[in-house]
Amino acid sequence: MTPESTFVTKDVASVFARQTLLDRDLVRQPDRPVVRLLPWLNVVTLGGRSIMDRGAQTIIPVVDELRAAMSEHRMLILTGPGIRARHVLGVGLDLGLPTGVLASLMATEAEQNGHLVAALLAEHGVSYLAHGTVAHQLAVHLSASPAAVSNGFPPYGIYEFPPTVGKIPPHRTDAGAFLLADAYGAARTIYVKDVDGVYTDDPASESGEQLELVARVGAAELLAMNIETLPIDPIVLELMTTAKHVKEIQIVSGLTPGNITKALAGEHVGTIIHAG
Amino acid sequence: MEDAGTSGALQSLLMSRSLSDPALLAASATAPDYRILPDVSVLKIGGQSVIDRGRVAVYPIVEELVEAKRSFPILIGTGAGTRARHAYALAMELGLPTGVLTDVGAAVSGQNAAMLGHLMARHGVPVVGDTAFGAIPLYVAECGAAIFAGMPPYDMWQHVPAEGVIPPYRTDAGCFLVAEVYGARQMIYVKDEDGLYTANPKTDKNATLIPEITVEELIELDLPDLVLERPVLELMRGARHVKSVQVINGLRPGLISRALRGEHVGTIISAQ
Repeated sequence: MTPESTFVTKDVASVFARQTLLDRDLVRQPDRPVVRLLPWLNVVTLGGRSIMDRGAQTIIPVVDELRAAMSEHRMLILTGPGIRARHVLGVGLDLGLPTGVLASLMATEAEQNGHLVAALLAEHGVSYLAHGTVAHQLAVHLSASPAAVSNGFPPYGIYEFPPTVGKIPPHRTDAGAFLLADAYGAARTIYVKDVDGVYTDDPASESGEQLELVARVGAAELLAMNIETLPIDPIVLELMTTAKHVKEIQIVSGLTPGNITKALAGEHVGTIIHAG
Repeated sequence: MEDAGTSGALQSLLMSRSLSDPALLAASATAPDYRILPDVSVLKIGGQSVIDRGRVAVYPIVEELVEAKRSFPILIGTGAGTRARHAYALAMELGLPTGVLTDVGAAVSGQNAAMLGHLMARHGVPVVGDTAFGAIPLYVAECGAAIFAGMPPYDMWQHVPAEGVIPPYRTDAGCFLVAEVYGARQMIYVKDEDGLYTANPKTDKNATLIPEITVEELIELDLPDLVLERPVLELMRGARHVKSVQVINGLRPGLISRALRGEHVGTIISAQ
C-alpha cells in the first residue's frame, strides 16, 4: 500500500524502535522499580479557599509552623488559588473562553498565593520557584534551603484536558501537587485544608449533625462512597490508582496548631487516603 | 444576555461550591463557547512516520504545506519519533519516572519543529515556543502558518500510565489539545499509513483499513495497537470544538491539501 520501498528509514536502535508505543504488550515495564528521585521530599499543599482565603489569622500560624518545621524537614510548599480564581473563572466562562485558557488564568492566582507565602519565609532562604525550576532544579534549591514554594497548579495551561462535563479545568492544585509528589517519589504528601479530613457528609452543610470523620480510607472506596463534597479534588483519587510512589496522602486541618508538624513527623492527625 | 438567569446561577455556584461539585460542573456546561481561531487547521506531522524518513518524505510535504497555506491558515505540530523512543528506552532502563521521560521526549519534538522551521523559513513560517503562543494569531495572519513542538508541557506533572512509565499524553494529544483550545476548524494527523487499521499494518498483513469510526466504537474494539495515542480518544469525548480528527498518509502526494479542503482521504474518527 504505502510507497515504503522508496523511502529510507533512519532509526536509532532501541527496544521501542519502529513501535507505536501503543502496543500494550510492548510498553509494559520489565520488573524494574521506578527510582524515587527525592526520597526525602515532603510536599505540603496549602489550600486556596481553605487556607489562603482566610487571610492573616490563618496564614500566619500556618507559616510559623512551616518555618519551625524547616529545621527537621525538607519541603516543597505548594499553594492553591482560592476566591480570585473563582472570579476569573466566572469572567472567562462568561466570555466563552475554552478550558485551556481558564486553566492558565486560574494558575496565575495559585502562583500569586505562592509568592505571598514565599515572601513571608524569604529571610529563612525560601524562594518562590516557577514550574520549570521545580521540574529541573528542585534538588539544588532544596539543598540550599530546606524549603521552597511553588504553584500548586500543574503547568497544563492551554493543554488542559477538556472535561467530560462542563468547562472547569480538571487538573487543579490537588492534582498538580499529587502528580509532582509522585514524579519525585516524595516521602510524604500532605494537604493542609480547613477541615480535619474527610467526613461522611459535608461539614459545612446544614444536615451536618451526624458527621463522622473518616480516619483512613482507600481511594477507590472513597470514590465509591459518592460523598458530595470532598476536601480534596476527586481526580486525585483516580490518579492514586496508577501512582508509582505516593501510596498515601494525608489531609489535615491547618486551623489546628501542631497538625502540620505532626503530619510531617508521620503522625496520623487527619484523614489518610491510601491507594488500596 | 438572554441567558442571564443561567449565568447568574453559574456565578453563584462558582463562589459557593467546590470546583468538583456536580451542579457546578453541569452549570459550567451552559457557558457559551467562543472559538479563538476558527479558521485555522491544525496539522500534526509525524516524527517516526514522516520526519525520521528524512528528505524524501519531508521535502514533498514541505512543498505541499507551502502551497496549502495560501488557502488555509495552518498550525503545524511535530511528533517526536525514533530518538524519543531511544531516550524512553534508556530512561526506563535507568528506572526513571514518567515525568523525566516526558521532558526528554519533548526535546525531540522540539528538534523536529526546529528542523521543519528551517525548511519553511524562506516561506516566512516561524517556530513558536510555549511562551510565544500569544503571537500565533499574528504569524498565521501574516504568513499563513506557524510550527510548534507537539509534546504537551506536562513535564514532571504528566499522568502516570497504569503499566510501565511511557508518557501517555504525547504529541498526538498535545496537537489535539492545541486544536481544541483554539477552536480550530479541524485536526489532521499526517502519518505514513492510509489511516487506522484493525491491527498495525507494518507488522500484520491481515490488517484492514477502517475509513470511518466513532470514538465509542474504537474504545469498544479495544485494538491492541493503534495509529493514534489512546488518550486522544478520551480527550475527544470532552471536546467542545474538535469533534472529529482525520488520520492521513502524508507520503501520498496531494492528500494534505485534500484533507484541508474537508475531503475524506484517510480515517475519520469522530466523537459521536
